[in-house]
Amino acid sequence: MTVLVRLVRYRVAVILGLTLLIASLTVSGFPSVTTLGLGLDRSATIGIIAIGMTVLLIARQIDLSVGSTFALAGITAIMLQPVIGIWPAALAGVLAGAAAGAFNGLLSVVFRVNALVATLATMLIFRSVAHWLTDSQPVPGTDIMLSLALSTVHLEIFTLRSALFVGSILLLHFWLTRTVAGRNLFAVGSNADAAEASGIAPGRTVFLAFVFAGTLAGVAGVLQSLTTNTGSPVFGAELIVTVIAAVVVGGTRIEGGRGSALGTLGGVLTIAALTTAMEFQSVPAYIQQVVVGLILILLVVLDRTVRPGPRTHAAAGVPG
Amino acid sequence: MTDVPIQMQQGTANERFRSGGPLFDLLSRGGLAIAILAVLIYGSLASPVFFTAGNFVNVLTSMAIVGIVVVGMTFVLVVGGLADLSVPATIACGAILSLALQPVIGPVPAFAAAIALAGFCGLMSGLLIGYVGINPIVATLGVGTIVLGIVQAAVGGVIVYGTNPDTAALVKSRLFGIPAIVLIFMAVAVVGHFALSRSYWGRWTIATGGNYAAAEASAVPVRAVKAGAFVITGLCAGLSGALLGLTLQSARPLVGTGYEFSAITAVVVGGVSIMGGFGSVPRAIAGLVFVQLLTNVMVLQGVRTPVQGFALGLLIAIAVALDVALRRRAGGAL
Amino acid sequence: MSAVATALRMRGISKTFPGVKALSNVNLTVDFGRVHAIVGENGAGKSTLMKVLSGTYLPTTGTTDIAGVEVRMRKPADAQRLGIRMVHQELNLVPDLTVAENVYLGRMPRKWGLADKAKMVRDAAAILDELGAAIDPKARLGDLSISQQQLVEIAKAYAAGPRIIVLDEPTSSLSEHETAALFRILRKMKQEGIAIVYISHRLKEVLEIADDVTILRDGSMIDTRPADGITAAEMIRLMVGREVTNVFPKTPSEIGAPVLKVAGLGDGYNFRDVSFEVRAGEILGLTGLVGAGRTELARAVFGMARVTEGRVEIGGKPVAINSPAAAVRAGIAYVPEDRKDDGIVPSLSVRENISLPVLRKLSRFGRVSMSADRKLAESYTKDFSIVPPDPERRISLLSGGNQQKAVISKWLSTNPSVLILDEPTRGVDVGAKAEIHRIIGELVAGGMAVVMISSELSEVLGVCDRVVVMRDGHASAPVERAALSEARIMALATGEEAA
Repeated sequence: MTVLVRLVRYRVAVILGLTLLIASLTVSGFPSVTTLGLGLDRSATIGIIAIGMTVLLIARQIDLSVGSTFALAGITAIMLQPVIGIWPAALAGVLAGAAAGAFNGLLSVVFRVNALVATLATMLIFRSVAHWLTDSQPVPGTDIMLSLALSTVHLEIFTLRSALFVGSILLLHFWLTRTVAGRNLFAVGSNADAAEASGIAPGRTVFLAFVFAGTLAGVAGVLQSLTTNTGSPVFGAELIVTVIAAVVVGGTRIEGGRGSALGTLGGVLTIAALTTAMEFQSVPAYIQQVVVGLILILLVVLDRTVRPGPRTHAAAGVPG
Repeated sequence: MTDVPIQMQQGTANERFRSGGPLFDLLSRGGLAIAILAVLIYGSLASPVFFTAGNFVNVLTSMAIVGIVVVGMTFVLVVGGLADLSVPATIACGAILSLALQPVIGPVPAFAAAIALAGFCGLMSGLLIGYVGINPIVATLGVGTIVLGIVQAAVGGVIVYGTNPDTAALVKSRLFGIPAIVLIFMAVAVVGHFALSRSYWGRWTIATGGNYAAAEASAVPVRAVKAGAFVITGLCAGLSGALLGLTLQSARPLVGTGYEFSAITAVVVGGVSIMGGFGSVPRAIAGLVFVQLLTNVMVLQGVRTPVQGFALGLLIAIAVALDVALRRRAGGAL
Repeated sequence: MSAVATALRMRGISKTFPGVKALSNVNLTVDFGRVHAIVGENGAGKSTLMKVLSGTYLPTTGTTDIAGVEVRMRKPADAQRLGIRMVHQELNLVPDLTVAENVYLGRMPRKWGLADKAKMVRDAAAILDELGAAIDPKARLGDLSISQQQLVEIAKAYAAGPRIIVLDEPTSSLSEHETAALFRILRKMKQEGIAIVYISHRLKEVLEIADDVTILRDGSMIDTRPADGITAAEMIRLMVGREVTNVFPKTPSEIGAPVLKVAGLGDGYNFRDVSFEVRAGEILGLTGLVGAGRTELARAVFGMARVTEGRVEIGGKPVAINSPAAAVRAGIAYVPEDRKDDGIVPSLSVRENISLPVLRKLSRFGRVSMSADRKLAESYTKDFSIVPPDPERRISLLSGGNQQKAVISKWLSTNPSVLILDEPTRGVDVGAKAEIHRIIGELVAGGMAVVMISSELSEVLGVCDRVVVMRDGHASAPVERAALSEARIMALATGEEAA
């Protein structure tokens, strides 16, 4: 394996390292634990959604509706608080996310609507439901103290949601690499026909992947609403670009079959570190966008041009 | 067995077209006409203002800006390029630059420069997609983010206002009672239609989307054709943005948000397959007309905005699911 | 050993597709612990029979017994449950998983609910070791060469502990060393009492490994014999069978100067050091077994695949052909083997398909002249009697033969000096076949140089002036028409006669 290929394979780590190094050298006070904790907390929302997106992309699917699901779940969790109490309402919010994912899965698997189009449609639908329920107004929660409790920093670095993010991504890593179901997910995304011929049900796998992605978008949305003590129909409108960027920067392929949880962790942290550092330097938001966009394109082009692998032969598929 | 929805490889397209057939064509083409007719009839019965020239001019005006983008997006879907998600950025590029450059180089050169730059953004996406082989979703998302950032940086990240009221008057002027902007849209649509259905480039576009390998084997410059669709969309979005900027006489960076989805919605509702190889500008515009009329009726009926969105979303899902089901049915019958 | 000696008994198997009888009343009996080879020309029905056996096709008539019990297999999973495992020519593997995971795909061992990777790697390593394949079980499958992937596919079937294993051309991408290793494992499987169905073109290998041989021809079973009572020459005779009647009348034509010359062409993998020339007014046959490198060669000459050595000359001048567009400019046209993948754009009409390569010439200021476009399509539709004679009809709605005629029309519209036809009559009905041969005859009579790739021996013998036989990427010296016979070609193709 050449050095170049190795560099490309572990490019996320390289870029994350470089980002942190440059940031520490140029931004005073960047390498402090507080900054780290801050960066981690702000990356948690994107990170939790990115977990679901990683699974979907590996299965060769995509979900554009996660931002809307995020808002819908948060609203559900806040609006039901006076009715059934805070924690049952939170659970209901997560379930709303799962239901949204199931609806996407239904459209995609049963009705065979292209995932891109299906989730484009549900993005509109879920967002509209969110506006509908709230009359387009932000909804306040019942317990303002809860948001403070959720923002408490533990062990000097973790908030509840950043701990949840890091914990879940490690679990995902374990699931993707060690469990049979995780391996089957790769099989479905890489060659669905071969997977089916070997007794794996691609439809079921894809459906569950959608439910999973919806559930995680729901969890992120509920946490966001509880932390801000608000349910708002405009939450999460710009999330999708960052989420896809983080997952793809992490080396997960949009064409399915390849990806990793640790890569996504790297991608999320890279983007969080970048934006945090640039904010410290008062770099305008639009320049930050340019940097994130450039990194995304650069990495994908690199991946494309220095892809290891054998030459493919037309002969391999020629039937007798 | 499972439909691979975001498959990027240009595999065989045969499965999708073998089913075709006159019955299917009739249903998919006629279905939309019937739907438009139904909305027209319902609208006329339900609201006294619906079937008036004034209302139709309003509908036309509101569909002109997105309509120009729809023409470009049709090329992207037909060539098998999935979707161009950089449209909000290229619209912003058109709107912001056409206003910001006015004091520097004059209104007409500013207008042209804004469109040219938007076209250049499309070229960037096109090169990445056609020649490097990057997934269109990733490429256009990335390019869009970069372009939007650069445009904002160029003007300092603030809202830009127009300095030349004459240009606004020109865009808002009417010819035979039809707003200039609508005439421009119609011109773009006619040019786009002939380009797709009558020019060799258009035929190449359909062939590339229909069967990439066969088109390549038939000496079609498939990479350039694929890239070209994104250039066309860039130019259209730039024009659309420039017109939008002149109409509003102000441009925010997020002025183009949502246009990409409206455009894709219209094209998909018009029955153009997202897998490529099939479709026409009139079909896409019929989809747009239907969506706009439906929205108009809902507005006149006092339906709340969220409900409208809900209905539209459901409409896309149903339209595509029906399309898939019909194709399969037709396949079984033949 | 199993109590029942007969592993598989198929009786009276017929399979009819609309318009075609692919199998007719085939009987096949395979015993446990024996290797049963099935041989036949391309199109003799081997693949169809195998698909019946793997549960992909339900036979039109006939019964199948597995270990003495009558079964009805509706899907591949049914066959797998009964202990039948297939090793396909088209690999059915997942490129993004490891070798070990592919071997155990769909039935990974578990330990505490998790995939037991250590066991998987250990077991896969043991099996690959037995196969004599130096493959790292932890490697990503997609990083392996095609021949290594073929071995993994075999390991996958073997690891499932099958009662019957079916191998379809398993050695087509293996080296001699790997083939020897494969035969060792087949003998071992035999000793374990597994019944092996072995489908191959390579008669030498068949004689080496098989206990019994069944010969198929035109969808019918010709004979089943013990392998040690038959010679390769006899097998060839039985496979070819029919008397060579002149079903393909040859149009006489004037042979002129060389048009296309290929010298020392190779792509470093599929074909090496191939040289031949085609003269105006001549049909050069290019034949050989599937996988011998014919199609790869043709694609390279047409600029659809890269070459690493050698050169191509047109009319005595070397030309650089790096894209189909360049090939078209040089006057080469190629009617591809895979009509569906490379030949037609299904969503376009017959007219639009025909004019695709010459669209620019039919255009003025970017606009396609509809009258020129229509005239072109109408002339071909009429000349080649494409049915239905409506150029506006979507090409995907035409029959295979008519699609093929449209594809040939498409290439003739470029006015080529050399036409390469890759299996031009595969999968088309008899009438269309004669029609296509008539068209080719007229073309060479008009001075065109034609290269015809075909696996159908009677076709090659009937229409070609000279024939080049390919085997394992190498081309034989051209055989003149006078010296042609089916047995001779078969011998060159299987390596019975050195090229």
